[in-house]
Amino acid sequence: MKRLLALSLWLWMAVVIWAAFHWAPLAAGFKGQSSRILFFHVPVAWVSFVAFMTAGVESVRYLAGRRDPRHDRSAAAAVELGQVFAVLATVTGAIWARIMWGSYWNWDPRQSAIVVTMLYYAAYLALRQAIADGPSRARLSAAYAVLGLVVSPFLYFVLPRLGFSLHPEPVINAAGKLEVESRMLAVLTASSLGFTVLFYWLHALRRRLGAVAAHRDEGVE
Amino acid sequence: MSRRFGPLRALVDASGEVAAGGVLSVRGPNGCGKSTLLRCLAGLLRPDRGTIAAREGGRELASDERRSRVGYVAPDVAFYDELSGRENLRLYSRLRGLPPGRGEILLERLGLAGERPFHAMSSGMRQRLRWAFALLHAPDILLLDEPFQNFDAAGERAARELLAERLAAGALAVVASPSDVALPRVTGELLLGG
Amino acid sequence: MSSSWAAEAAAVFVKDWRCELRTRHAVATLALFALTTLLVASLVLGPIGNDAEMSRRVVPVLVWLIVLFAAAAGLPRAFVHEEESRTAIALRLAARPSAVFAGKLVHIATLVAAIEAIVAPLAVALFDLRVAAAAELVAALAAGGLAIAAATTLLAAIVAQGRGASTLFAVLALPVLLPALALAVAATRVALTGVAEGNLLTLLLLYDGSVVVAGFLLFPAIWNP
Repeated sequence: MKRLLALSLWLWMAVVIWAAFHWAPLAAGFKGQSSRILFFHVPVAWVSFVAFMTAGVESVRYLAGRRDPRHDRSAAAAVELGQVFAVLATVTGAIWARIMWGSYWNWDPRQSAIVVTMLYYAAYLALRQAIADGPSRARLSAAYAVLGLVVSPFLYFVLPRLGFSLHPEPVINAAGKLEVESRMLAVLTASSLGFTVLFYWLHALRRRLGAVAAHRDEGVE
Repeated sequence: MSRRFGPLRALVDASGEVAAGGVLSVRGPNGCGKSTLLRCLAGLLRPDRGTIAAREGGRELASDERRSRVGYVAPDVAFYDELSGRENLRLYSRLRGLPPGRGEILLERLGLAGERPFHAMSSGMRQRLRWAFALLHAPDILLLDEPFQNFDAAGERAARELLAERLAAGALAVVASPSDVALPRVTGELLLGG
Repeated sequence: MSSSWAAEAAAVFVKDWRCELRTRHAVATLALFALTTLLVASLVLGPIGNDAEMSRRVVPVLVWLIVLFAAAAGLPRAFVHEEESRTAIALRLAARPSAVFAGKLVHIATLVAAIEAIVAPLAVALFDLRVAAAAELVAALAAGGLAIAAATTLLAAIVAQGRGASTLFAVLALPVLLPALALAVAATRVALTGVAEGNLLTLLLLYDGSVVVAGFLLFPAIWNP
């Protein structure tokens, strides 16, 4: 069954990639083929926020519940993966910005948001490294993750709007407001779905890996 | 109860009980988990497995309540260097909502002059202050980890008197100490490690 | 156990300041860092208050970076010292977590106020700043200072239980404080130039409120096992 799902996902993504380059039309106002990057950049950025929220929710569940280590492992896994997706989002975004406007970085609201997310992930992982005892590590990193959740509205909505006023028109926002032609929307949605499923699959794998490591290090959990 | 620290299994399936007026004596070699056990009972550490139940009149105390009601003496308990013994006790009295007189009585009972700042106290004096801190709120649960360590004869005598008084008043105690230390009213023994 | 919560918090606060006044450790660290950075900046930049553009663009962020730097150097000790010297044990047993949080928060906030009381007047003097709205400046310093205090209280309690507290604190604090700092910098700019920029103080106070409330909810889990 798992193999069937994995194969389906593989096929799905293969079709999405093909469709991104051969089936979806180009967006007006974008240089050359560059609008194709949207089909990968947007989903990947979306997933990094999903990961952030997942980590936050799992952390709340850890603290509020019976301190079940599984929630802790889930949160940590979400953060690790979130970081990977955030890096991908940043890189694809920067490449696209370079093509379109000649510079890799503009402190566009979305760019600020992704940087801040990466800072948060890095800090969370650094905190975990600094605490040797399992339950303490889980409890304290969960508290930090929940604090992140509380502060996130300010990170994602307030902070980006405060940037220096000389930056160009929010670029990626413009893409959101784009007259999204139905084919483009279809590919975008399909790609987002695929990447989300990929995230949850990787998350499940990482959780299992964490459980195995815990079993090896500390006995049955 | 069990507790591990990474690969180190500090406490493995320790189990016991003690009732009002009684003393549970915890013995074992160094590193067998006596301190870990007492920390868990005090609410300073959460066990990985197992439960701690403190029951009073049929009701079980929540861990927060238990933590605030225990009298805990242990080698690593420390007080504020810059404050005198008296000032330290006044602080804890204020935190617990007790009149400052309680601290004074205990200082006298334990033969501790209250003026010296904690950093200038000898180890024997510090131990007396630990007892004073532990007994401020006339606790019903006494958790004593090597409680007579560093004491001279007078100090130990005073502490034992206070302990006997508390036990007679209905408190219970869990005491971890080397095997050659005599304990009053022992109702059970827990052997760890080995 | 019949102490009022406020009395407990007050006892923690009084104890922190009593110990601080006897050692002057935190205040000395804060003053040292704040003054050093301020003097270096003044040495390099001179009286940039004369230049309106520089004033608008550079001074606000400079002031807040100095405050943040001093805070990161001197404030975490409020919890790190308790854990390292093991006085935290007695505190955990004798006091309610919410009272410890409140007492420490007010103590740390007063320390932040102390940093600002040093930095702000000196900055105005050294850089020859023209302040268009003094009340706005005070409000910005207060609201921004509270943000730093609230976040620091939580984060210091967290890092005190791990290794490498000082570096770890800075790493954890940056993402959390970024929005507050940006808002405070903008609000300071408004105070200096007199040009309004939207409801910055409201947002900053909203941030403060959120972190303080979150603090009361999270601190028991951070402080107790």
